[in-house]
This record gives sequence, structure tokens and C-alpha cells, in this order.
Amino acid sequence: MKRFKCAISQAVVIAIVGAAAAFIFNAFSANGISPFRKIADVPVVEDEPAGGETGPAPEAIRAIDLDRFREIVDSHGVVIDARTAADYREGRVPGAILLDYYEFRRSFDSVAPYLDFENEITIYCSGPVCEDSELLARELFARGYTKLLVFKGGFEAWEEAGMPVERE
Amino acid sequence: MMGIRECLFENEPAATGPRGSRLAAFAGNQRVILIFRIVLAAVFIYAALQKIGKPLMFADEIRMYQVLDRGPLLYVVAIVLPWMELCCGISLLAGLFMRGAALVLAVLNAVFLAMITWRTIGVMSAGGTPLMKVYFDCGCGFGATYAWKKLIEDSLFILMAAAIYFSPAFAFTLAPRRKG
Repeated sequence: MKRFKCAISQAVVIAIVGAAAAFIFNAFSANGISPFRKIADVPVVEDEPAGGETGPAPEAIRAIDLDRFREIVDSHGVVIDARTAADYREGRVPGAILLDYYEFRRSFDSVAPYLDFENEITIYCSGPVCEDSELLARELFARGYTKLLVFKGGFEAWEEAGMPVERE
Repeated sequence: MMGIRECLFENEPAATGPRGSRLAAFAGNQRVILIFRIVLAAVFIYAALQKIGKPLMFADEIRMYQVLDRGPLLYVVAIVLPWMELCCGISLLAGLFMRGAALVLAVLNAVFLAMITWRTIGVMSAGGTPLMKVYFDCGCGFGATYAWKKLIEDSLFILMAAAIYFSPAFAFTLAPRRKG
């Protein structure tokens, strides 16, 4: 019983020290997050095909297909790569800007000059399964960027289609 | 009520050694305990350093277990858990608050074991994947691996933590000797 009481006391001290260190570090870390952070509750809707009469709701993130994405890349639209810096260096969509979703607080200020509230911003991540492009779109939406497009196929679909890849 | 000060000075050498079975004697051997401490400390300090400073990424990895959805509890766990692992690892290395660290690690690993089992069963039932082929990133800090390996690893970690917890005394510590 003495051993258990002692262990509990020690565990409480470890928990308090650990939690205090965690919250202090989190407060000063470039990647720190608020436990009460909200993800913008904006729907992701399929983009209307070209020439469609009715567009999606204005307050929505639009999911686009490969053809539409290629048009944007060819016309030098703003394209964001939401993957890690290592993935980005290994190969990316030509002209894409790196903005790792998990490094958002650290990287956003350097990317912000390339973004415009009036123009479309297209985001992709690794492939159809990854959620980072959508999560990044929600982060940007919360910061007032409303013309957001997500290429759900991601880099995987781009590469598989034999599209050009930029490397360092 | 045990005082913290009294708990801190738990470093009397096990002069007579533990009595009982051979297994108990093995687990009570201070060199064995020291090896367990170093292994657990190395694993959990490394795992913690992979996650500290990346709470958003860790939160997404926790979400893959479909137990916690986005909300304050998920983010608090993602912020605090790696630091708890780090503190436990440092405690075991330094030889301070070792029973507490062992208790925390045993409880954490029991939770990890339950979560990984839960997710493994989910993968097996969803895709008809056999147990030995279930492969995913558990979010532990060591990348993707076979689930069965993680289940064995976590079970071993619990046993090591239990051996430390039940050790009759501790040697190789930084804690000052208790007088009297």
C-alpha cells in the first residue's frame, strides 16, 4: 500500500510537470495549437463542370478533377502543396508553393504574399486518401480566403497521369 | 500520507536481494532493472522527441483510432502526451520518481495496447486482412509497422514497467541516500 501511495504521488508530480512543460512549450512553439481551435465548418462540394449553369454555394471549398487542375497549373494559377518539405523537394506540381499543413503557423507568413483574397487558391496533398489539403483549405478559409479549390487526386494522381513534375 | 520527499529517496540498494521465485529474483536484480530502465527511457524519450512540437500531426494520428474526434480533449492529449513520455523517460534514466514513472508508463502502454488492438480488429474486419498482415502507423513515433509487432512491443514495455514498479529497491540513481 505504501508503495502504491508513493507511486501515485510520484505519478501526480510527473503528470503536473509534464503538463506544465507541454503547455509552456506549446505557447511559445511556432507550431503550437490552441486546444480550443476550431476547424472552419465549410462544406467541400464537387466543382461544376465547365459551362454548368449553377455553380456551387459561394461559401464552399470546391473539389476539382485532374483536367481542371491541369488548366490551373498551365495558366500559372496559385497552387499550394500541403505536404511536407521533404515530399515537396522530392517532386511537386510545377509552380506549386510549399505550405505544410502541420507547419502552418511557422510557414504561413512566408506564403501569404503569394496569396490573394480575390483569386482562386488550389491545394493538393499526397493522394486521394490524405486530408491535409482539405484541412489546409479550412485553415485558409478561417483566415478569409474564400476562393479555395482542392485537387483530391493529389500528387499521386498527378504523377500517375504522367504530368510534369518539378524537382530540386 | 506518504510525503514526496520520502518517496523521492527510494534508492536503498537491495542488499539481500528479493526473495521468492527465480523469476522474482531475476526481475529484482538491479542490473536487469537498470537495463529495463534504459530501454524504456530510450524508447519513450525518442518517441516523445518525434512528436513534441508537432501537435497537429500527432492529433491527426490519434484521430485515426476513431476514439477521439477533433475537440479540446484530442488537442490536449496531442500536446501533453509526448511530454509525459519524455518526463517518464528522464525519470527512469535519472532514477528519480521511478515507481511513479513506471506506473504512468504501464498505464499508458495498457491504453496504447487497447487502442492498437481495437484498430487492428477494425482493419481485420473491414478488409478481411489477416492479423499478421495488418500494417499501419500507430502514431507512436516510429513510423508504420506490423500491428502484431506493436502489440508484442507494448506488452513487453508493460512487463518492464511492472518489474521496475515492483522492484524492492533501486540502485544506480541520482537520488541522495536517505539517512537513518
